[in-house]
Amino acid sequence: MKGADRVILTIGTKKGVFVAEAAKPRRKFELRGPFGPGVPVYSTLIDTRGTPRLYASSCNPFFGMKVLRSTNVGKGFEETKSGPAFPKDDGRALINIWSLEPGGGKKELWCGVEPASLFRSRDGGDSWEMVPGISNHEHARKWQPGNGGLCMHTIIRDGNRVHLGISTGGHYLSEDGGDTFKASNQGVGAGFAPDPYPEFGQCVHKIARHEDAPGRLYMQNHGGWADWTGPGGPRPDIGVLRSDDHGRSWRSIASGLPSDFGFPIVVHPHDADTVYVVPLEPATRSCPGGAPAVWRSENGGDSWSRLARGLPKKQSYFTILRDAMDIDHLTAPSLYFGTTTGQLWIGREGGEKWECVFDSLPPIHNVKVAVV
Amino acid sequence: MCPAPTGTVHVYGQLREYCAGASQLSVSARTVRAALEDLERSQSALYRNLCDETGKVRRHLNVFVNTDNVRDLDGIDTTLTAGDVVTILPAVSGG
Repeated sequence: MKGADRVILTIGTKKGVFVAEAAKPRRKFELRGPFGPGVPVYSTLIDTRGTPRLYASSCNPFFGMKVLRSTNVGKGFEETKSGPAFPKDDGRALINIWSLEPGGGKKELWCGVEPASLFRSRDGGDSWEMVPGISNHEHARKWQPGNGGLCMHTIIRDGNRVHLGISTGGHYLSEDGGDTFKASNQGVGAGFAPDPYPEFGQCVHKIARHEDAPGRLYMQNHGGWADWTGPGGPRPDIGVLRSDDHGRSWRSIASGLPSDFGFPIVVHPHDADTVYVVPLEPATRSCPGGAPAVWRSENGGDSWSRLARGLPKKQSYFTILRDAMDIDHLTAPSLYFGTTTGQLWIGREGGEKWECVFDSLPPIHNVKVAVV
Repeated sequence: MCPAPTGTVHVYGQLREYCAGASQLSVSARTVRAALEDLERSQSALYRNLCDETGKVRRHLNVFVNTDNVRDLDGIDTTLTAGDVVTILPAVSGG
C-alpha cells in the first residue's frame, strides 16, 4: 500500500477481538479492545484493498454468528447488516465462522463456516449468499467434524483457482472461480481411517502459499501417526506437505521436524522457499518438552532449523492454533503468534529473535498482520 | 375465531439494540411458536438472535412462559393466554 506506515495486528480471542498498532520499526504496540467483548472470535481479516477495513467473526454461542467491521483501522467495530446464514429449507444452521478472505471485486468477501460451507458477500459483508458448488458438494454430508468442529478454515484464491481447506474433509480445488470443486488430496494422508490415502476426509489443518508462486502450496495436515499399528499400517510424516502443481498432488516435507503434528503454516512474504511451522506433541497439542519453537525451512521443506531465541526454554505447554500465526510484509519481516494461554509473541528478523508483546490476553484463536 | 391473546415478550438487555432499545414487546399469539413467528415478521433482527436458520430456538437459550421453562410444558407449542409474559434468556454457562 502506498504510504503505508503502520503495522496493524488483529487478535481474535475467546473474549473478543483486539487490535494492536505500531509504527514500522515495531518497537511498541498499542492495544485497543476488546471489541465484541466476551464473544469468541475465530477469524479476522485486514482488507487492504482501498481504504483499509478490518473484519472479525463474532461467534456468539447464545445469539448466533455475526460479522464485525471497522472502517477506522480498529478504533471501533460495528456489526454488518447481516451474517452468513443457510437458506431456511437447507436444514443446516451456522455454528461458527472460521475464515474471512477478500474476494475478486473490491467489496467481495468469502467466508468459510462450520458446518463446512462457503459463503460470498459482494457488498463488504452486509449480505451473503451460499456458494453451492462446495456447500452442496456430493461429499458435504459425508465430512466428519474434527475436535474443532466441521470447519472450512482455509480459502486461497488464485485467479479462477480456489483452494479450500476443510477439517475434516480435506483439500478441495476449483478451477472455475468457485462454481465447481473437486477433492484434490493425492498424497494427503489420513491417520484416523483404515485407508491411509482416501479420496477425501483428511483432517487438513491449514494451507498456505506465496502470491508469486501460486503453483507451490504448503499444508499442515493432521500428523502424529508414525506409531499406528492398526489397519493400513504406520503413517509417518503425513503432517507437513508440499504441492508444486497447484494442489493436484502433495508430498511429505516433514522429515527433520521433531513432530509432524501442528496447526499453523506460514510462508515468507519474499521467498516462496521459506516456510514456518510450529511442531506440537500430537497427544497433547502442546510444545514438545514444554519448550516452544518455530521451525523454519529455507529450501521448500528439504531441511528445517529451530527458531527459539527468546522463547521459554521449559515449562511452557501452550498451543498455537491454526490461524494464530502470521508474518508481516516489511523488508525484514516479523512473525507473530498467539497462544492459547493469551500471549502474543513477535519473532523479529523472520523469527530469529522472539519477544512477548502481550502476556495476559484471553486465549488467542487468530492473529493477522498488515501494514496500512 | 377469537382474536389471539395479547402477551408480552421481555427482551434480554444485550438484545435490545436489535429492537430499537425496547425492553418489552407486545405480541398477539396463541402459542410460543406463533409469538416467535410474529417476531420474525416484526423484529427480524431480534428474531435472528433467538432462532437459527431452521427456525429452532438457539441451543443455549431458555424460553419461559411466566415462570415456567417451556421444556417442562409443551415446548414452543405451549399455549399462551392473555397477559402471559414470555422471557427468553441465555442458559447459565460459559467461562
